[in-house]
Amino acid sequence: MKRSTVFMVVALLLVLPTLGSANPNGVGSGTFDAQCGGACHGDADMNRSSAAIVEVDGPEVAYEGLLTSVSITVSNIETTTSGLLGIFLLSDLSGAGDTPDDAGWTVVSNSEGGTENYVEARINTGQTEHTVEWTLRAPPSGQHLLYGAIHHGTEDGSEAPFFGASAVPASVEVRPVPENLPRLGPDFEPPVLRDVGATTTVVMQTVDVDAVRVEWRLANGEGTDVTVIGEGEAWTFELPATLQPVAIQWRAHLTGEGPEQATPWFTLQSENPSWTVDENAAYLQSFAMVLAFMAGFLSLQRRSSGKATEFDSVMFDSEVDL
Amino acid sequence: MVSAATLHVVATELAVGSFAMAGVAFLMAGLASHGWLVNSRHLPLVDHVAHFALAFGLVAMPFAIITGIQSSPGDGIDHPVLINKMLLASAALGLALGVLLARRRQGHDVWLHRTGRRWQTLGGLGAVGLVLMTASLGGTFSRGESLLDIFRLPYDQVPLMPMWLSGAVLVLAITNLVLLRRETTA
Repeated sequence: MKRSTVFMVVALLLVLPTLGSANPNGVGSGTFDAQCGGACHGDADMNRSSAAIVEVDGPEVAYEGLLTSVSITVSNIETTTSGLLGIFLLSDLSGAGDTPDDAGWTVVSNSEGGTENYVEARINTGQTEHTVEWTLRAPPSGQHLLYGAIHHGTEDGSEAPFFGASAVPASVEVRPVPENLPRLGPDFEPPVLRDVGATTTVVMQTVDVDAVRVEWRLANGEGTDVTVIGEGEAWTFELPATLQPVAIQWRAHLTGEGPEQATPWFTLQSENPSWTVDENAAYLQSFAMVLAFMAGFLSLQRRSSGKATEFDSVMFDSEVDL
Repeated sequence: MVSAATLHVVATELAVGSFAMAGVAFLMAGLASHGWLVNSRHLPLVDHVAHFALAFGLVAMPFAIITGIQSSPGDGIDHPVLINKMLLASAALGLALGVLLARRRQGHDVWLHRTGRRWQTLGGLGAVGLVLMTASLGGTFSRGESLLDIFRLPYDQVPLMPMWLSGAVLVLAITNLVLLRRETTA
């Protein structure tokens, strides 16, 4: 009883610090309210103000149900040695129920290759500015505000979690779609991720469009046009493969009876093919190996009893039970 | 706040240090039990050191695993090195438990019989070797290099069995353990 109590106390002492620690390795990108994204970072009673400057930039006008882009630029960055910086796109700063989805927006993609409002970026040493861009589908008409927020730790890891938000929100007036406005189809979802070395064929549905021109570029590079084949309101084109895990951006210029439109730049991230395994099979084999090795060894030792040798068992007279 | 990565280093040092000591002690016990190089009067001492260090290493191992999972990036086991690490650790755990249980069941008699002492030495050294390989895989995963790289081990290949085969091995192992238990209590 006494031995098991000591064992339990030692075990708890070893385990509790790991459970109580923060998330120095981040929580990963996801759809988070400001409060949930970092727990204590979003808690006004626990956090401290970040010295970083957060600016959110969006269009003044967007059309109901159509795609538009919003970016957040963080400057004067200070973060931990691991360089992790969490960046939120939010519809208000209340801390709960404040994702863009809560205000009717739909996050279609972000420039880090995800489809979430919260992005965890890794900042290189010496880098002082970072920009993340989101492509959003606009909510019903009205005046809508979008905020940017960040959270991070400190380099020595000893101080409070830091939180910062944009001083001024982006104010977007969402209007009803004008008649005959050339636009993307309401169901069109641009591809976000692909494997390195694979070309991507995109079939884009449009409405009220007679002609389409598509261009792609490496991030902030020169644009290059691709061949587009049209069939009614479906337009097919291929985006070239990349040899490394990088992002390319593409956009379409839509021409029709209404005024010509250009879509936002969509980001397509290439990643090395992910490695997957049947985790259940791995866990089962693992468990089987524990028992098989144990049973195998015990069987071997059982068979080895028999001929005693020159050692005198008196040598072990002060036997200690293990 | 202490990060999981720091705690992982602490827990790993505890586990690997204990296993390394157990390895040396098992080697000395093997030699002493054969009367080679080490005087056989040292056998009781190295016997106790070897088994205690092995047991302590086993206690420290789960903490190394928990902190390792907490400090690793991403979710789940999404890299062949991690799967191989888990399989090697399982083999080490099973072998070490077998060695300790054999010592507990047979007492010092494990050293009194020719075959028994050889299996006990090889079992202990095997468990230690597997744990050291597991630790080496950790270095390969986090830093891209380890001391055992000179052996050019195929860390990227995962010897994963189909589930039915793992299930069969599991059933056989459990049956074996039950029969051994019944034999002991009879």
